[in-house]
Amino acid sequence: MKKFNLILLFLASGLVTLAQDFDKNVATAKSTYASGNLQDSRFAMEQALRDLDMAIGKEILKVLPAKLGSLAAVEKEDNVTGSGSYVGLYVNRHYGADPKRGSIEIINNSPMINSLNAILSMPVIGGMMRDENQKMVKIQGYKSILNKQVNSDTGKTNYELQIPMNNTLVTLKIDDTNEGEITAAANAIPLAKIVQMAQ
Amino acid sequence: MKFHYVLAFGTSLCLASVGTEAQVLNRLKQKVENKTEQKAGEEIDKLFGGKKKQSDSQSGQSGQGGSGQQGGQGGSSGGSNPSNKGGGGLISTPPDVNQNLIDAEAAYKKNSYGEARYSVQQAMLGVELQIGNKIIKSLPESVVGLNKEAESDQVTSTGWGWAGLTIHREYSDKNDKQFSVTISNNSILMAGVNAYLSGGYAQQTNGEQNWKQTKVKGYRAVIEYSEGSGYTLSVPIGQSSIIVYEGINFASEQEMMKSAEVINIDAIKKELGEQ
Repeated sequence: MKKFNLILLFLASGLVTLAQDFDKNVATAKSTYASGNLQDSRFAMEQALRDLDMAIGKEILKVLPAKLGSLAAVEKEDNVTGSGSYVGLYVNRHYGADPKRGSIEIINNSPMINSLNAILSMPVIGGMMRDENQKMVKIQGYKSILNKQVNSDTGKTNYELQIPMNNTLVTLKIDDTNEGEITAAANAIPLAKIVQMAQ
Repeated sequence: MKFHYVLAFGTSLCLASVGTEAQVLNRLKQKVENKTEQKAGEEIDKLFGGKKKQSDSQSGQSGQGGSGQQGGQGGSSGGSNPSNKGGGGLISTPPDVNQNLIDAEAAYKKNSYGEARYSVQQAMLGVELQIGNKIIKSLPESVVGLNKEAESDQVTSTGWGWAGLTIHREYSDKNDKQFSVTISNNSILMAGVNAYLSGGYAQQTNGEQNWKQTKVKGYRAVIEYSEGSGYTLSVPIGQSSIIVYEGINFASEQEMMKSAEVINIDAIKKELGEQ
């Protein structure tokens, strides 16, 4: 119980710091703008965007499943990054331990989004690029790309599922698995909620 | 003499009436043609719409909205879509920075982080456009005898920070000589030019020389020449900005360099907040 309270306190203190940073950066943006210092105002806004990305990332982590198939989340390896710019938001959670690991990765404004959407929306391109280790599937109504990778050393099959949603890319990876397990795991992720938060 | 006036008046009346008759005839002809075209269009639409519907019902398993939609469109439009003849266009008002920052704070307090981000991005867009407009106003009215083309002035911002801000101005002699300046902040072009400058590429000493390193007002730069596009001079400034000058139909490298020297790089650098 004591441990739980400590964790709660730690999380709460993180959010408070974040809120303070955002408030501080917006206040700086306002005051520098009022004094005509446009460059510093812009810099403060960039920082505020970074703070927001971090806040959104932390909210997303809360809704990610505690288990990915049979793999339990390794919450101490949770990673949230907000650059406030090119790749705005990056959320990453690991599951399981060696030899079987899994992960969920969420990236906003990913440079890969366009090429993935091209494959999904244009059957001709999809057809040209299709190989036996790649196929299109639907996860909760979202068109997705499923990649199969056979490890030549261990002979085990790893799967990767890429789900592009507007400007957010969700990538799911599971080692030593099969199509059924990875699609079932993907269906347990609240995709609509995540995309709503990330936009 | 009077007879001449009467004759001229009569002739002009005749010509006018012939002209009016011709106009009336032309209009009538056009109307008939339009009606015929419209009817023919409708018939064709009916024919194809009908055929499509038939084929759809025959296959009975299309499941695609596309063909059905096309049939519907054909039937309703009758083959003649109206063309836009005018409108107010869009009002190019930059976003209100203060209001957007207030909105961002309010959204953040309600834990609507997505909304807060949108507002901050809008505020950033507003600030970037203001910075851009200040810079474009500071550029000279003319460069070595070429006058600015006011209608080609452009300030673009994504409000995202990464493809930040682009400012573009053109100067020309209204003939075939042109000089343009493009200033980009947080530009991805920087990587390419810095690769040249950091010695990633060998400079040729013989044969055809297409590019070389140079200096503009003390700033290291790269000048390139191509038969097709003329001179391009790229000057990275500060950490993340670049100025690209382009000269079409310039007589020599010296002329190009002289033109580039007219632009006050230090002032632009200061305005962009670069060190």
